[in-house]
Amino acid sequence: MRSNRFGIRIAVSALALAVSCGAQAVTDEDILNDANTPEDIVSYGMGTQGQRFSTIEDLTTENIRYLQPAWAFSFGSEKMRGQESQPMIKDGVMYVTASYSRVYAIDARTGEEIWQYDARLPDGIMPCCDVVNRGVALYGDKVYFGTLDAKLVALNKDTGKPVWIKKVADYQAGYAITAAPLVVKGKLITGVSGGEFGIVGKVEAYDPETGDLVWTRPTVEGHMGYVYKDGKAIENGISGGEAGKTWPGDMWKNGGAATWLGGTYDPDTDSLFFGTGNPAPWNSHLRPGDNLFSASRLAIDPDDGSIKWHFQTTPHDGWDYDGVNELISFNYEENGKTVMAAATADRNGFFYVLNRENGDFIRGFPFVDKITWATGLDPKTGRPIFAEGGRPGDPSSAEGMKGEIVLAQPSFLGGKNWMPMAFSQDTGLFYVPSNEWSMDIWNEPVSYKRGGAYLGAGFTIKPTNDDYIGVLRAMDPKTGEEVWRYENPAPLWGGVMATAGNLVFTGTPEGFLKAFDAKTGEELYKFNTGSGVVGTPVTWTMDGEQFVSVASGWGGAVPLWGGEVAKVIKDFNQGGMVWTFKLPKDRVASK
Amino acid sequence: MKALLRCLVMMLVFQTGMAQEVDDGDMLLNRPAERNYDIIIESGYLKVGVYQNFPPYSYLVNSEPQGIDVELGKRIAAAMGVEFRVHWIVPDENLGDDLRNNVWKGHYLAKRRLADVMMRVPYDKQYAYMQDSTGEYMNEQVVLFGPYQQETWQIAYNPQKMDSVETIAMFQYHPIGVEIDTLPAFYLTSGLNGRLRDQVRHYTNVHEAFNAMLNGDVSAVMGMRAEIDHELSKAENSGFRQAGNAFPGIGKQVWDVGMAIKSTHRQLGYALEEIVGNIVKSGGLEGLFADANLRYSVPQYYRAFLSEEAIAQAEGKP
Repeated sequence: MRSNRFGIRIAVSALALAVSCGAQAVTDEDILNDANTPEDIVSYGMGTQGQRFSTIEDLTTENIRYLQPAWAFSFGSEKMRGQESQPMIKDGVMYVTASYSRVYAIDARTGEEIWQYDARLPDGIMPCCDVVNRGVALYGDKVYFGTLDAKLVALNKDTGKPVWIKKVADYQAGYAITAAPLVVKGKLITGVSGGEFGIVGKVEAYDPETGDLVWTRPTVEGHMGYVYKDGKAIENGISGGEAGKTWPGDMWKNGGAATWLGGTYDPDTDSLFFGTGNPAPWNSHLRPGDNLFSASRLAIDPDDGSIKWHFQTTPHDGWDYDGVNELISFNYEENGKTVMAAATADRNGFFYVLNRENGDFIRGFPFVDKITWATGLDPKTGRPIFAEGGRPGDPSSAEGMKGEIVLAQPSFLGGKNWMPMAFSQDTGLFYVPSNEWSMDIWNEPVSYKRGGAYLGAGFTIKPTNDDYIGVLRAMDPKTGEEVWRYENPAPLWGGVMATAGNLVFTGTPEGFLKAFDAKTGEELYKFNTGSGVVGTPVTWTMDGEQFVSVASGWGGAVPLWGGEVAKVIKDFNQGGMVWTFKLPKDRVASK
Repeated sequence: MKALLRCLVMMLVFQTGMAQEVDDGDMLLNRPAERNYDIIIESGYLKVGVYQNFPPYSYLVNSEPQGIDVELGKRIAAAMGVEFRVHWIVPDENLGDDLRNNVWKGHYLAKRRLADVMMRVPYDKQYAYMQDSTGEYMNEQVVLFGPYQQETWQIAYNPQKMDSVETIAMFQYHPIGVEIDTLPAFYLTSGLNGRLRDQVRHYTNVHEAFNAMLNGDVSAVMGMRAEIDHELSKAENSGFRQAGNAFPGIGKQVWDVGMAIKSTHRQLGYALEEIVGNIVKSGGLEGLFADANLRYSVPQYYRAFLSEEAIAQAEGKP
């Protein structure tokens, strides 16, 4: 039991003080340079572009076998649900979040706790997809994170005491925050998660010092964006120009398009890239039209929240293919010219390469073995070519009978879900954590909601193959070629990291942290962390040695949905740890 | 003597917090109490699960739980000789979720929190025996029983905007308000090949839809009959009328509403079934509805075995 009113515990305050001596405040420059500073990790994505590529060369395919555990840390309590966090490192301190909106500061050398903050969650919150949190943002002397009751919390980085707490949206209306916020040009930026109904997605910027709202940008056509000056809201244009262009009736008012996975930032084009979730209501037959900006990627001006361009991966979505997956900025050479590109691996099974200056479609290709809902992408626009009979049926025509079963592949959990992929600047390949599964969808013959008759859909997720669901793939963004693949029995649900040591790291629900040869896919290392790994690994240097960390703790959306996938995962035990490994100095090859 | 003492202690403890919920779960193992019939009687209270903010069935008035389901829960508790304790239910995406979160398993954020009995659970054999893709019974963890009301759909309209509601086709021309994510919302946006779609206005609940009708934003509102009757009984809505139209192709026109308990607590179910059956047959439930200015229909369940006179008595008809 925490006795403190705010649920904070300061375990070793003397240690906190010791650590803070000599610690530097995190600046905008630190964040923009994060990808090139191996001694710290101050952005979600190991660089604001989200490449998750480390330039550290100590750990290689040759010496990875000497990677050894340095310490492990338990998140404690009985709150062992999915641990999807990415740790941050600054001045020898690790900042990591855990399920149920908890934050920890840990001495990165010894694994000792400096402080812990437990958000006090209200009764009656209904997060749709497990009680995960994906990480913090660091800026100045503060640590920022979002809570399951849709608040932003700013903590003092040395003491863990809250400096301010701001409500971003109303949890009673179905909102939550699970993604890590990001700091761009002195603004703290966040999206929102939301249930299926009644919500409208948005991206918002806050003043990191005070928590005051700076701008807000709704992600559904027809809603007004605002910029705030001296406490006054100034209109800044309606998203999409006006209401009703791609939605029938008043459905745009509750259109969904939650920005639940956060975003990346590209300094070259000065753009935030946020993805958006599925449109509401779930039944696509009720809302003919493209339903902008659901299932899209948006380029947003970080200064005022204006939408610069959008690219919709699944227009008129009927399969719950959220468009939230991260858009990673990268450059490549073609015909002697540098192409300013960005790539994303969508829930819907297609991998997209876009021009990140204007959102133009460059190319797209499937990254999963089979796609049933579309026969391909329009080579000019990237718009999907819908397959005949691929759309789930209209429930209003089913009337009391079990509707026709439609098989859709990928399943609504996606060819790839939230777990971030990585891009290696050395190999030029994307390493995509993907899954091979389909779903049956049908209209329920009988269904009720809050005491009333209702129309519901039933679904069940089915593995495509007998012996594996998860596939870690190395994809060439220039050709669409799959260079190598690693097949995993359970669905992959953890993030990926690539390093200049020709290594690719990821975790598995079976509990392993694994490392692969980035060029060949050969598995070179595995260590069992004791529970499923659905977090995202990071690496940094400290005292001249290279460290690797990953959160361990099985959970997330997969165990909640069951179906035939349950057979594969039913024996996995829950957990809540962060594991840290290092390569001893004497194992580094002389340069 | 012991029981009397406990009763006195209970009165002291709960005097101040009538609307407060009990936390009687196992703190150490973080799981709900296994409250069968005997334990409920011994504990001296019954936790009745009702939906939050759901007039006229269950809602707060001056911080006190009120409504049809609350009143029925109080009568059940009184008949059992125990105190009524409210257990508020935040509705999830469907009934299966609500049963899991409140009747048999508990929500993963509140694992110690279960109702002894949940009200307003549709009583439908087809639903109760639904099987999943592997042939498992989806609702085998609960018993659905004790229907106490028949519910149906209803439209209210503003006679200054439209003369009457002959058929739902009129809503090609008149805006109509519905609660978002309900069957009326689906029905009207998909009906007549989508020709009503542009006239459908979505609100967070029926009350908000009535406010919109007062403001002139919509000409009619569709919802469950008791919700509509409840709004029509308010003075500010006295200018609005009930419509008499049919709902062709709506799937479920009427349905019975009853209760749910955990499948291992059948003894409790038998006791509740008898109590509620007596209240229904004596016309007690009709009285509850009449007191709240709501129409009442006896569940279809009773029509299979009660005489016409008995039905008439239950429906309060002389």
